[in-house]
Amino acid sequence: MSRARPPKPALAPARAPVRKVRLETERFLLRTLTPEDANEKWIAWAADIDVVEPLNVPVRKMTMEDVRAHFRTYDQERQLLIGIFTRQGGDFPPNIFIGVYILAFNHQHRTVTFNVMIGDKEYWGQRVVLETRAALLDFVFDVVRIEKAIGAPMCRNFPAVFNYKAQGWTLEGTLRAHARSAHRPGERLDEYSFGMLPDQWRALKAARAAAGKGALS
Amino acid sequence: MTDQEGAAIALTLLAEALMTPANDISPDTRLGDARWDSLAHMRLMLAIEKRLARVLTPEEILAIETLDDVRRVLTQK
Repeated sequence: MSRARPPKPALAPARAPVRKVRLETERFLLRTLTPEDANEKWIAWAADIDVVEPLNVPVRKMTMEDVRAHFRTYDQERQLLIGIFTRQGGDFPPNIFIGVYILAFNHQHRTVTFNVMIGDKEYWGQRVVLETRAALLDFVFDVVRIEKAIGAPMCRNFPAVFNYKAQGWTLEGTLRAHARSAHRPGERLDEYSFGMLPDQWRALKAARAAAGKGALS
Repeated sequence: MTDQEGAAIALTLLAEALMTPANDISPDTRLGDARWDSLAHMRLMLAIEKRLARVLTPEEILAIETLDDVRRVLTQK
């Protein structure tokens, strides 16, 4: 006698609607980038070794269509591409595109991995990442209900390492010889793994507020 | 390099990286303070590597948060 087959599992739910991000901090605006946002600055950054080497990304000569095609690869659900702009009323001239975040979500495990590039060198050393990532941590923990944030900078990406340490992330490990160098054939690069948990972030913010400090370090 | 020499060089390197007079730096100065931003940190790490004539290890990169940390890396003590 044959047993009744168990019911088929329900089809996967329809893809969530595109997640449009728009956040403002004291000095910056963060918003989802679309292919229409492709611009010459991205082309310049992709070709600038000072910008891409710390990220272990090869130098690329891109056309505007390449940039548009690249932007289209972000589904804005699992991979969010978010531009960083100066904002009206901040310390800088408004509406200047200065960098990007790529947030890679794993919705099954409720994690997000942060990647950031400040392409406009005028804004290096201006604590852009500390200020803007604070807003994004609030967003991923409080709105998206992510349960862990991850950062994985190359060990020699000194500004990135600074930012993770200054923001209070926990070093969870050093991944030795974890990646092939995009710039020096045959060389392998070490990488750190930093983590931030929601309660840890809230405690850090509360401690900073009690000390009379804002998001900036 | 003696501890005293290391301390003097550490102070010089940190002051140059933070682009501030040496007498503005105290034992309490630490990573994330007003002048110790990401760009200053990069200048500091590169200056230490130049002084040591080698690249820093991942452990050393993580260890540097204060003036005394710079001295320790320079003197290996």
